[in-house]
Amino acid sequence: MSSSTVSVSAATPTQHHFQRRVDETKPSKSDINFVIMDYLISEGYPKAAEKFAKEANIQLPREEEPIQARVEIRKAIHAGNIDTAINKINDLNPQILDTDSALHFALLRLQLIELIRVCTTNADADITPALNFASSQLAPRAATNPDFLKDLELTMSLLIFLPTEGALQPQFAELLQPSLRRDVASRVNEAILTNMGMRGEARLRSLVRLRVWAEDKARAAGKDIPPAMPLGLQDADESMNEGHGNSDALDIMVS
Amino acid sequence: MFRRSSYASVAAGNSGQSQNSGPARSGAFSHLAASNPGVGPPSAHPSTHHARHLSRSLDADGHPHGSMSSSWRQGQGHAPYSGTFGYAAGMPHDGASPLFFVPSYLRGSKHAERLEEAHKKRLAAQREYRSNHSSNAGSLSTSSSSVNLHKLGASHRGMAHDIVERAPPFVDDQSAAPWPTRWNEGDKYIQLELEEYGRQAKFSGSQKTHDEAASVRADYPMPRQCGIYYYEVTVVSKGKDGRMIGVGFSGPKVALTRIPGWEPESYAYHGDDGQCFSNTTSGKPYGPKFGTLDVIGCGINFRTGTAFFTKNGHFLGTAFRDLKTDKSYYPTIGMKKPGETLKANFGQEPFAFDIDKMVKAEKAAIHVEIARSRTVYRIEKDKPPVEETAFIHSLVGQYLAHDGYVETARAFGEEVIEEARALTNDGDADLSYVEADEDIDAINRQKIRAAILEGDIDKALKHTNAYYPSVLRENENIYFKLRCRKFIEMIRRTNELSAQLQQAVPTPPSKRSTASNGDGDEYGFEMELDDHLNAHHNGGQQRDWEMGIHRADTMDTEDRLSLDLDTEDMEARLNKLTQETISYGQVLKQEFQHDPRREVKRALEDTFALIAYENVGESSLAPLLERGGRVPVAEELNGAILVSLGKSSSAALERLVQQTEALVGELADDGGPGAFINVGRDFLQ
Repeated sequence: MSSSTVSVSAATPTQHHFQRRVDETKPSKSDINFVIMDYLISEGYPKAAEKFAKEANIQLPREEEPIQARVEIRKAIHAGNIDTAINKINDLNPQILDTDSALHFALLRLQLIELIRVCTTNADADITPALNFASSQLAPRAATNPDFLKDLELTMSLLIFLPTEGALQPQFAELLQPSLRRDVASRVNEAILTNMGMRGEARLRSLVRLRVWAEDKARAAGKDIPPAMPLGLQDADESMNEGHGNSDALDIMVS
Repeated sequence: MFRRSSYASVAAGNSGQSQNSGPARSGAFSHLAASNPGVGPPSAHPSTHHARHLSRSLDADGHPHGSMSSSWRQGQGHAPYSGTFGYAAGMPHDGASPLFFVPSYLRGSKHAERLEEAHKKRLAAQREYRSNHSSNAGSLSTSSSSVNLHKLGASHRGMAHDIVERAPPFVDDQSAAPWPTRWNEGDKYIQLELEEYGRQAKFSGSQKTHDEAASVRADYPMPRQCGIYYYEVTVVSKGKDGRMIGVGFSGPKVALTRIPGWEPESYAYHGDDGQCFSNTTSGKPYGPKFGTLDVIGCGINFRTGTAFFTKNGHFLGTAFRDLKTDKSYYPTIGMKKPGETLKANFGQEPFAFDIDKMVKAEKAAIHVEIARSRTVYRIEKDKPPVEETAFIHSLVGQYLAHDGYVETARAFGEEVIEEARALTNDGDADLSYVEADEDIDAINRQKIRAAILEGDIDKALKHTNAYYPSVLRENENIYFKLRCRKFIEMIRRTNELSAQLQQAVPTPPSKRSTASNGDGDEYGFEMELDDHLNAHHNGGQQRDWEMGIHRADTMDTEDRLSLDLDTEDMEARLNKLTQETISYGQVLKQEFQHDPRREVKRALEDTFALIAYENVGESSLAPLLERGGRVPVAEELNGAILVSLGKSSSAALERLVQQTEALVGELADDGGPGAFINVGRDFLQ
């Protein structure tokens, strides 16, 4: 078996060197399972975490309560119920938002966006709630920080642009994307975890970033690595049919 | 505080006692050391020998093959070096294993791990060598008594564990470049004398002429894979009218008759004028002068290609830039006045300068950079790329499906979809999460895994043979491991039973919450399978599960015991179980005794050694019994089944880890940023 592997890859010696290096590392299943469990817990997938503890026969970390609270907070932010989310965060620990004014501002801005969304859905809606909220909640904070102010101005411009026909400019469209809510939700999640003395970022997320970083660096340094490094996320058959070096087969695109 | 007093005491020359306490020198040991003056061959490092080495070397003493004391005696007259010292391959360093130390700033680094691994391998090879040459290795009594001998050695247990549970990790000996440990007897100017086991160098000749000097290089170059390498030198004495001392590094070919810094590929900081020199006899102003009792540190940052010095714990700034990335640099010192004496600390002792902090800062900066790296990911052809979270979800989902965590995969899929719905506020979410393809194989594989994880090896064998009849035939090593594991599980149960018997009061049911769930289902399946198998007889495979104890006895022993068994019953059961364990062991031995493979022999020895203990849980073999040992067997079998189904044995996430390790390795080879990353330690644990 080993001899056939060698003869196949001998045709491309550079790939051979790197491939051998890849093959030499054998991540242990318990490490991988740990990373999976760490992800499920820290990014808040309690049902999967519970099942995984059973199926992989590993201990479920003890902290049922906070994980549930974190999931509810995430849900509230995702659904645009920012008020609920802020209350829940403060129930958990009011210090979280007190000590991170940027995060607090981001949440309040999300809330403003939701208010604007509501009042611009039909032409004769009242924009007063949005204006009131902006002046009472966001303006005082924006006064202390130029970045906040810029964000607030941009958000307020939505009031003017949103009702108009046609495509929004990208910087406004971005404000309405679900990804903004998700980003804020994950920042909140990390803040709660850090506040509890845990690692803020899930290891799997760090690992994925490390993979991207390492490839970038290795290419920049002119290291001898294959032009494409598929992971095989697609169906086995499909990836088998891909030609070598077909960049469409890439799982990771370095932008 | 500590650091200061430490280097002061080094300077005062009594460091031998103060360093590395360990289990202090025993009588037996110091006699060995005393018989052996300072200029001894490599192994003469008494201060760092720990008990483990000690017991081993004594063990070796009476041994015909390369006993420690005899090799020391032989070594005395010779140039003890010949470069093979310790790390070189091909020589049996029996009993003469060099001490192993990790400089504080490299602890936890990938390179330190690699060297430690290589070191352990060497020790294991020595042990192997000895045990192969002892008269009756392999019999039950010998292996258990040798276990007693090495009771102190945690590595023995790790070793046994490794062999039974998983293949030892591969160590590329070339990448495991050792770091300097002492001045090199074979690479010094003749009038330099080495003392203190090669760490102290003294100029004993007559004063040199204006442009001559006496230099010595360390035994190994500063390894680039460390990212930053740093060592210190204490000026024990600047001699009568000297301090013409240079501390730095040089290439392997640089003349030793010149003070470092004057030649090409030679870099140093000089004590007489405080200047730094490279490639020329005219220096440039750099730091203060230095003399007796000063501690001078010298470091290279391979990532930035710069070198720096420290004096008495103070950073003196960058001295050299643009160091070449393809050269080897050896720690080098030079002097020219009689009596000048320098002592090196290659990390055997705490450093005067807080190099740990510098390395930590370097690491932190790199980790910040990593945390900022984003990209878009293409999961499926013909579909737009997705962002990080969706990519991670695919990785997790694919791993769960691939490895047969059926229920988890389903629950995760549901939670992810629910999340996506909440986010888009309508039912028509664009679900980039690729749903795991759920198939019967995944369920079967999960059943087999669950059986092993519960310790029910018979059930796992049965299922495997029923669903994937070729797998065990084609993967004999896995079959062997399963059979060994079964023996281990039998010992486990015997132990538990006898422990319970001793306590008289039955222990409360243990935390076997996982095992009992879904039992009804499972049971029905069992019956069906039994019928099926009995009807067809399924070739010769059946012997596998007919052997040993009957399943009804093995299942749920713990649960049942806690119910209603009285002591008599328990005794009877214990006796029966012990009998069965022994006869199973005999069958096992018979089946594999002629197997020529070394790892099989070894695993058998270790496994059978279990039976020698009244209470294995307190013996050095206890790790063998741990439940955690089931995991690697279960995973290996799962992998083999996947391969037999024509699927890749590793999931995308595993490949991602492999690629990452390899990429980071590429970035570490030349001392680049990868040198500051330990994927396993920093990202997986």
